[in-house]
Amino acid sequence: MNAAIEYQQASQNRASHATPPRRADDLSVAALLAQYHPDHAADASTLLHIGPSRGQPCHPRLAQLLQSNALIDGFDLAGAEQRSTDVLVLGGGGAGAAAALTAARSGAAVMLASKLRLGDSNTVMAEGGIQAALAASDSPQQHFDDAMRGGHHAADPQLLAQLASDAPGVIRWLIELGMHFDLADPLSDGGKLRYKQAGGCSQPRILCYRDYTGLEMMRVLRETVELEPGIQLLNRCPVVELLSHQDGSCAGAVLYDLEYQRFIVVSARQTILATGGCGQLHLQGFPTSNHYGATADGLVLAYRLGAQLRDMDAFQYHPTGVAWPPRLRGGLISEAARSAGALLLNGLGERFVDELAPRDVVTAAMLRECAAGRGIERDGQLGLFLDLRPLCGPGLPTLASQLPALQHLADKCGIDPTRDPLLVYPTLHYQNGGVVIDSQGQSSVPGLLCAGEITGGIHGRNRLMGNALLDILAFGRRAGRQAARQAQAARNKSSLPHLRGGIEHVYRWQRQLALAGLDASQPAPLLYPGQARLTLHRPASARA
Amino acid sequence: MSETIRISIDGKVMAAQPGDSILQTRLHGPDAVTANIGCMGQGVCGSCRCLVRKAGERDTVSRLACETVVEDGMQVSFIDYYQPDHVHHYRPHDLRDGWQTLPQLQQTFPETAHCRHCGGCDRACPRGIPVQQGIALASRGELPAAAALFDPCIMCNLCTLACPENIRPNHVGLYLRRAQAIQNLRPGELLRRLDQQARGQLAIDTTAYLARSSS
Repeated sequence: MNAAIEYQQASQNRASHATPPRRADDLSVAALLAQYHPDHAADASTLLHIGPSRGQPCHPRLAQLLQSNALIDGFDLAGAEQRSTDVLVLGGGGAGAAAALTAARSGAAVMLASKLRLGDSNTVMAEGGIQAALAASDSPQQHFDDAMRGGHHAADPQLLAQLASDAPGVIRWLIELGMHFDLADPLSDGGKLRYKQAGGCSQPRILCYRDYTGLEMMRVLRETVELEPGIQLLNRCPVVELLSHQDGSCAGAVLYDLEYQRFIVVSARQTILATGGCGQLHLQGFPTSNHYGATADGLVLAYRLGAQLRDMDAFQYHPTGVAWPPRLRGGLISEAARSAGALLLNGLGERFVDELAPRDVVTAAMLRECAAGRGIERDGQLGLFLDLRPLCGPGLPTLASQLPALQHLADKCGIDPTRDPLLVYPTLHYQNGGVVIDSQGQSSVPGLLCAGEITGGIHGRNRLMGNALLDILAFGRRAGRQAARQAQAARNKSSLPHLRGGIEHVYRWQRQLALAGLDASQPAPLLYPGQARLTLHRPASARA
Repeated sequence: MSETIRISIDGKVMAAQPGDSILQTRLHGPDAVTANIGCMGQGVCGSCRCLVRKAGERDTVSRLACETVVEDGMQVSFIDYYQPDHVHHYRPHDLRDGWQTLPQLQQTFPETAHCRHCGGCDRACPRGIPVQQGIALASRGELPAAAALFDPCIMCNLCTLACPENIRPNHVGLYLRRAQAIQNLRPGELLRRLDQQARGQLAIDTTAYLARSSS
């Protein structure tokens, strides 16, 4: 670990300033990112050797998974249970729920398969809020401009324009399903919503529900999906491989039913991948704020089937992960804290960055402080102070009423936020890149759509607060609608049962692995993080 | 930190580091964890429900494993999820008329009136929600007050498991909260923005940023 200032000393330094001084910036934003952002570390990028995006940069750990062998082979499918549906949605977070609901409402028969349990996802953990340009002084254009700048002009302009334009309709849809939002004035009787400031935004545009917006959203979406007769729900059924037709299009997926320990082959006219990101890979050795299920499963399978990827070397490290106590390391402290006025301080008690700069800038500045020996060390954990005193002044509502999840977290850390700061360190939060999609969520593989964090291009190389909850719903709904439309078109063309697919693409992939001299002994997707691997139960006779 | 403590998880004795949560201890075990896990410590997904009995105590309490710190001699049983046979069906569309909320509640969740005040739901709730009071308020028609009590609910379904009358209190609470939003939230600026968009206004210029960024 770098030299750092000991916790007691740092606390004294902090107490010595009534108003913390602001350290002058020594680097331009571009230089700061180039020198200190983890994406720019020498070992944070390699080139893909095989597959549709070969030659493109990708994080080495992810590249290893993308260029790996399949979990199953043809034997495993012999005798497996066969099912079929119009639209198969893979993933039980917000994007999957939105896609499934929209496809079902559009008249399709829908199957939704989830690795863990519907709703058990990063969505439920989102705290800060969702962006929508509603204020009279605001516009979708300004929303677009802010996000384009925040993403370093790397976003796909068409996708981003759709994101900003879809936002008001998404908020209406959520209210129609029964989601609450914070009101500007509790007495305004549903007339005026509260807008919060997000880092990198020209004006307050975040809608929220307290500081557990994702929980409020997901409990409503989950209930709606569970009560929707047009959706068949398969919990604890991770996807282990996609299925393909002769022409390379997607034909459904192979699931592993954990309860009965057997494979299920689902033939689908359209398949939507909404499996999320990869925080549990702990890229660059960082802790993560992500859910247990974020292991890049869908990304690996989409790539193997031929879907193009982009920006696979761009990740978001959220500035404020918990650094102490170690038990909670990596857990998220919402940007809502800084939005409400919380300050970041180094071990000298100085501010060192505009707390509401875009996330990548704040993170890089924090890592610069630590590299320069101005970090703070407590029980072997390195971090910086997040000072909550500006939120706890006299005359302000209590932290427990403003930001109940933050108060709950402070309690778990054993910290009195009116007095003591939290120790924070950047935490791996979001995958900026992913599968290339068009405006309807269609990937470069016919029959395969994607929505949510698995996709790339919407945010460019850095995402602003509140645009992920928006993205999963805006594009989840688009993908659901498009998949239902395509399935209907296919049904109109032929009333025959649709052809079953196979895993021919896996054999082609294995030949490519061998030709490129890549290690084919490591299978993927991972399904579950951690050391212990799940053993897939295989039909004994076929294996003997 | 060399001191090791032992706890029993689903009948298997495991070594645990002091300060770790039950969930972290379980993750260090020999088997891949494929259920009863989710947000890993935030306490919002409601997946890691378990029954905990401390050494030397008789009482068993329900807890979230991600938020409970291990103690030597603890016995832990995880509670699996299942889809109950008896589910109360309704559509969001049905909740639009506020005058019908009470009769519809009685029709959709008729068991709400059958509470026998056993207090099982209150004891089961890891968030400390006064669940029984919420159900009492709901059956009396005090709907906003009942809805407000369920605001911090994480839908872990422990109260549903605990209820001998099949009330499914957390789903009643969510029903009432949803009805409230569906009936009352009509933000003026959202209505105006949707109207502007319906008229074809506010289209986004996707090239303007190029000019601005080069200037």
